[in-house]
Amino acid sequence: MAQCVQSVQELIPDSFVPCVAALCSDEAERLTRLNHLSFAELLKPFSRLTSEVHMRDPNNQLHVIKNLKIAVSNIVTQPPQPGAIRKLLNDVVSGSQPAEGLVANVITAGDYDLNISATTPWFESYRETFLQSMPALDHEFLNHYLACMLVASSSEAEPVEQFSKLSQEQHRIQHNSDYSYPKWFIPNTLKYYVLLHDVSAGDEQRAESIYEEMKQKYGTQGCYLLKINSRTSNRASDEQIPDPWSQYLQKNSIQNQESYEDGPCTITSNKNSDNNLLSLDGLDNEVKDGLPNNFRAHPLQLEQSSDPSNSIDGPDHLRSASSLHETKKGNTGIIHGACLTLTDHDRIRQFIQEFTFRGLLPHIEKTIRQLNDQLISRKGLSRSLFSATKKWFSGSKVPEKSINDLKNTSGLLYPPEAPELQIRKMADLCFLVQHYDLAYSCYHTAKKDFLNDQAMLYAAGALEMAAVSAFLQPGAPRPYPAHYMDTAIQTYRDICKNMVLAERCVLLSAELLKSQSKYSEAAALLIRLTSEDSDLRSALLLEQAAHCFINMKSPMVRKYAFHMILAGHRFSKAGQKKHALRCYCQAMQVYKGKGWSLAEDHINFTIGRQSYTLRQLDNAVSAFRHILINESKQSAAQQGAFLREYLYVYKNVSQLSPDGPLPQLPLPYINSSATRVFFGHDRRPADGEKQAATHVSLDQEYDSESSQQWRELEEQVVSVVNKGVIPSNFHPTQYCLNSYSDNSRFPLAVVEEPITVEVAFRNPLKVLLLLTDLSLLWKFHPKDFSGKDNEEVKQLVTSEPEMIGAEVISEFLINGEESKVARLKLFPHHIGELHILGVVYNLGTIQGSMTVDGIGALPGCHTGKYSLSMSVRGKQDLEIQGPRLNNTKEEKTSVKYGPDRRLDPIITEEMPLLETLALAQEVNQR
Amino acid sequence: MAVCIAVIAKENYPLYIRSTPTENELKFHYMVHTSLDVVDEKISAMGKALVDQRELYLGLLYPTEDYKLCRYGYVTNSKVKFVMVVDSSNTALRDNEIRSMFRKLHNSYTDVMCNPFYNPGDRIQSRAFDNMVTSMMIQVC
Repeated sequence: MAQCVQSVQELIPDSFVPCVAALCSDEAERLTRLNHLSFAELLKPFSRLTSEVHMRDPNNQLHVIKNLKIAVSNIVTQPPQPGAIRKLLNDVVSGSQPAEGLVANVITAGDYDLNISATTPWFESYRETFLQSMPALDHEFLNHYLACMLVASSSEAEPVEQFSKLSQEQHRIQHNSDYSYPKWFIPNTLKYYVLLHDVSAGDEQRAESIYEEMKQKYGTQGCYLLKINSRTSNRASDEQIPDPWSQYLQKNSIQNQESYEDGPCTITSNKNSDNNLLSLDGLDNEVKDGLPNNFRAHPLQLEQSSDPSNSIDGPDHLRSASSLHETKKGNTGIIHGACLTLTDHDRIRQFIQEFTFRGLLPHIEKTIRQLNDQLISRKGLSRSLFSATKKWFSGSKVPEKSINDLKNTSGLLYPPEAPELQIRKMADLCFLVQHYDLAYSCYHTAKKDFLNDQAMLYAAGALEMAAVSAFLQPGAPRPYPAHYMDTAIQTYRDICKNMVLAERCVLLSAELLKSQSKYSEAAALLIRLTSEDSDLRSALLLEQAAHCFINMKSPMVRKYAFHMILAGHRFSKAGQKKHALRCYCQAMQVYKGKGWSLAEDHINFTIGRQSYTLRQLDNAVSAFRHILINESKQSAAQQGAFLREYLYVYKNVSQLSPDGPLPQLPLPYINSSATRVFFGHDRRPADGEKQAATHVSLDQEYDSESSQQWRELEEQVVSVVNKGVIPSNFHPTQYCLNSYSDNSRFPLAVVEEPITVEVAFRNPLKVLLLLTDLSLLWKFHPKDFSGKDNEEVKQLVTSEPEMIGAEVISEFLINGEESKVARLKLFPHHIGELHILGVVYNLGTIQGSMTVDGIGALPGCHTGKYSLSMSVRGKQDLEIQGPRLNNTKEEKTSVKYGPDRRLDPIITEEMPLLETLALAQEVNQR
Repeated sequence: MAVCIAVIAKENYPLYIRSTPTENELKFHYMVHTSLDVVDEKISAMGKALVDQRELYLGLLYPTEDYKLCRYGYVTNSKVKFVMVVDSSNTALRDNEIRSMFRKLHNSYTDVMCNPFYNPGDRIQSRAFDNMVTSMMIQVC
């Protein structure tokens, strides 16, 4: 697993925190809405206690709680829908991408140097969201509401009346059988009365007097006066105060399920942050109804609810559309808490402190004590009586159990107040207040009870938490019971068929194993949970497993790479293109250049595809290019598919920037040293006509012997003409330049005489390549008669046909794995310096008898589109390396190459052409 | 039987790799590549003891659950690795048989190396070797 920001000792207490419900009156909600926050959101940044807290456990021992955090959330009367959770998790993962300039660690393993990002923030946020969005279940109490805050505003007409209404409301939700969802820890939930007071608008005196009244009624411990909104919002721009919500709200709106209560506005604002294009104003309730979730069953927003069955006769029906609209706008404007000063922040912090110290913890303490007393009495009873009866009636017990087993495949279900559950309740409470010793012993006892009753789900839950609390025990901890976790995971998955619980268990267990650096166990665990039912989960787990492999003492690089590929595959199936691409790129580092060409091609192909769908066309092109350049071992059909995809992507690139420079094409290969250049007319004598002895044509094979003879002949002629002296600037005439000729000088070409360049192409693929509109690419410096050089550079062939005419071969076919030469002509019409740079052509392929293979087409592009016209225009440079220099000592000791000027002829003025005809020993001069 | 036979060079690139269901070649390549980690681990775990006893056979690398495939490894003294993927669904092969198969493979590989025209480190394109591998692949099927 990758490194995490939080250590496991921080992670688990933060993931399992005491839950507190919040029930707000309409008026109170309006007050907090001024800050574009709900009441629960308002408290969120301050929900961690800054100081240590003390409480007494049942044995009257002092117990210190550090860093306690509480979770306040609005009451939701429906369990979260699995579909909505899935969407939420998906959004979280796609919203968390690796930072651009992230410095990756370099891990060296064997001969591999890998750049690997050590952290995986997307996984962490996934895990956080996943743990937060766990629905409250019957067999465990960790996320059941312990207390309820009842919030009303001082500006209400009858605040005290309002409080009792809210109280009734809460009572109804908890005890009415209509509402099965918000689960409550114990029947008599702690109620905490909060009076919100708007300092800028409300009457302070009145608020104080109401608060006094409340104190009388509910006791000083059970109520609080919270003053907020000290400043008017129009002053917000004057003064910059820290916005503690920004970090939470970003997360909040994406991650927290209560954000769904705000209706679609928050959801769309998330989307908005992605593409910034959607206007929010057009949204209304229809959009909401189209959403797959039904989260916003908040009793105070019932008129938004599309489902009439969960409408509650709440105190307000008057939430106007305009205020809703305001909320929407508020979500686009980023400023949260605009009406709050720093003093207000302190007040909220104070409030949470007060609530926890005076309200919540004493309540928890009391509850633990009660439960403990119950247990002790029950234990005494069971010890004396139960064990005896068990012995007596052990025979009659068996059929009873089998009836229980029939109830549920996962064993029996307990009624909510069953005595067996009380011990679990107590364990959970101890766990929440970080009293792991006591929690462990309770879980352990509970586990035994449940196992005796064959209540598998309950037993698995107890096992899981027992393992966690055993791990977290301070002092001399007992060895971490890994087998507890294994049993729990197996039970969740195989007997209860509850993948969500199994996943939670695996996430916790893997994290615990990681902190003990038992990476291979963690990896095995993570891999075992990957399944077909959730691609996103499998992807994330596989990625973490891959990180486990690389983090082992002797890093398993190849396993890392392989699991990264698997993760990438799953990511792409889950629609997480960016993550998929990242995974494949990371895996690529291992496979690159190691000779595993089939795998490399596959990865390159996938990278190309993914980059293409992400519109990273340059990456796509280079990835596809890789597949084609390497000596491919793929089948012909596969190669054809690669080529087609490549061409298609290339076409898209060139369409995006039609004026850009021509792209370099990878195909076909050009054997540049085999390039031959021929000056002059390639005369083909008709039948009967005599062939000139000096005649040279490109069809002739190079014959070193005869060319040597010709050179000597020419030298002799020159020496005779110059009376026996060969001038120092003499060099033999060469019509045809090839790799054997001396190419160190600029060759001379004559104006109006063609220059023929023979380019040797080789097709490395097994499929046919079609080059169309093939011609040479050149640069020309015309030489003016006035003497000064025109420095203007003409780049393209087509631009200046009056300077240089170029022959265009309209169609040139190269069969699979064939080498073929093309002869291209230039006609210089002007004198100057010519540089032949390369060839330009349209690269295409013909879909002949080849069948379209299983690879399929790019998304949104049907195979039918690939037709004969499928081609891209591009160029390839002709660069010829000169001969290796071997004259001086320096040249001999180093590797140096001389220039090759074959392709840089100087165009000179017209001059006479000498041709020799050898006719029966007679030299005829023309 | 043997569904995939691979010869891997010391530097962990393939010298020879062949699998019978050709349509699934990629999968076998991945599989062989991944099992090199285990081979490396086994070599380093055995360390010096291995050299002394000249035990080249590494045994079962690890089974994959889904395909009923077992991977066996073998390392020559020059750190050339042989990896064999064996379909264990129909026949339960005994260790001895695998061992003898590897020995055969090793002999054949040695023959290839003895070829003066073979450039060590190149891909093996010997027909004799190919035939031997083919015979091992269809031996039982």
